[in-house]
Amino acid sequence: MDDDFQELEAELSRLRPAPLGRDFAERVERGMARRRALPGWLWAAMPAAAAFALIVVYGTRGPAGPAAQASAPPAAPAFEPVGVRDILVASRDEGYVVLADGWPARRLLEAHVNTIMWRSPRSAALLQWSVPREEIRIVPVAFH
Amino acid sequence: MEEFSENESWKNWFHRHGPKLLLCARQWTASAADAEDVVQDAFIRFWRSQRGLPGEPMALLLTSVRRAALDIARRRLRRAAREAGAEARDSFAGPLLEPASGGDDRRLAIESALRRLPTDQREVLALKIWGELTFAQIAGQLGIPPNTAASRYRYALGNLRRELTAAADCHG
Repeated sequence: MDDDFQELEAELSRLRPAPLGRDFAERVERGMARRRALPGWLWAAMPAAAAFALIVVYGTRGPAGPAAQASAPPAAPAFEPVGVRDILVASRDEGYVVLADGWPARRLLEAHVNTIMWRSPRSAALLQWSVPREEIRIVPVAFH
Repeated sequence: MEEFSENESWKNWFHRHGPKLLLCARQWTASAADAEDVVQDAFIRFWRSQRGLPGEPMALLLTSVRRAALDIARRRLRRAAREAGAEARDSFAGPLLEPASGGDDRRLAIESALRRLPTDQREVLALKIWGELTFAQIAGQLGIPPNTAASRYRYALGNLRRELTAAADCHG
């Protein structure tokens, strides 16, 4: 930079930005304390979905004891998978990040619910297993 | 610009660097309240999910702040187009710089001169002096060549000095 401006630059650098207002600092503190803003029911559903999955797996395979193994011939499965569904329930753009190679990218946080469906060939009963899933996508961007 | 220490609390870091972020944010927002909103959002997002990423923390944060500020500006423009009478710009309401302990006249004169700078010069000056970015980083932020960033900076300093000299002459 020009020598002419060195003195002015130094003077500006010595000036400090105005301090943060107390209200603003408190607002940021509250924001930091809040839980990540994903739908609350997704988090609540996680243990229930896991428990339900266990029940489904156990129910379709049946007990693996000696009595069950001895019974022949093998019966048709109680439930057969008939469909898979992926629903995007929430999406949040978390802004720009810089990749290791220096390129900018956008970080997208998505909340999905995956549902797997089974049907019983004998009774036509339908079983559904839904499980929440969080996906983070890094999408490279180019500025023009 | 210093890196994060793993053990540093967000409060310490924000206390040290928050004022710089806010000052830079005010170059891109229509009001001081908008500047606080974008800094808050960008900082929380950064601290929670982007802190471990490689790169200069201040540069990453300023990218995020600027993007959020431009989003707000676009929303305001759309709203202003719908409503009669746009909101008055009060981006520089309130002090930009910390009051000096001794005489405060010089600080006020500098703030006044800053307010009169063209926006493109003022934002480069703020990013360089208080954002502590290099010209290459500023160029990346603003989508301009580094030489343009450097020349805007020189123009800003020249205009600032001219304003300050004129103000000093007026006050004898």
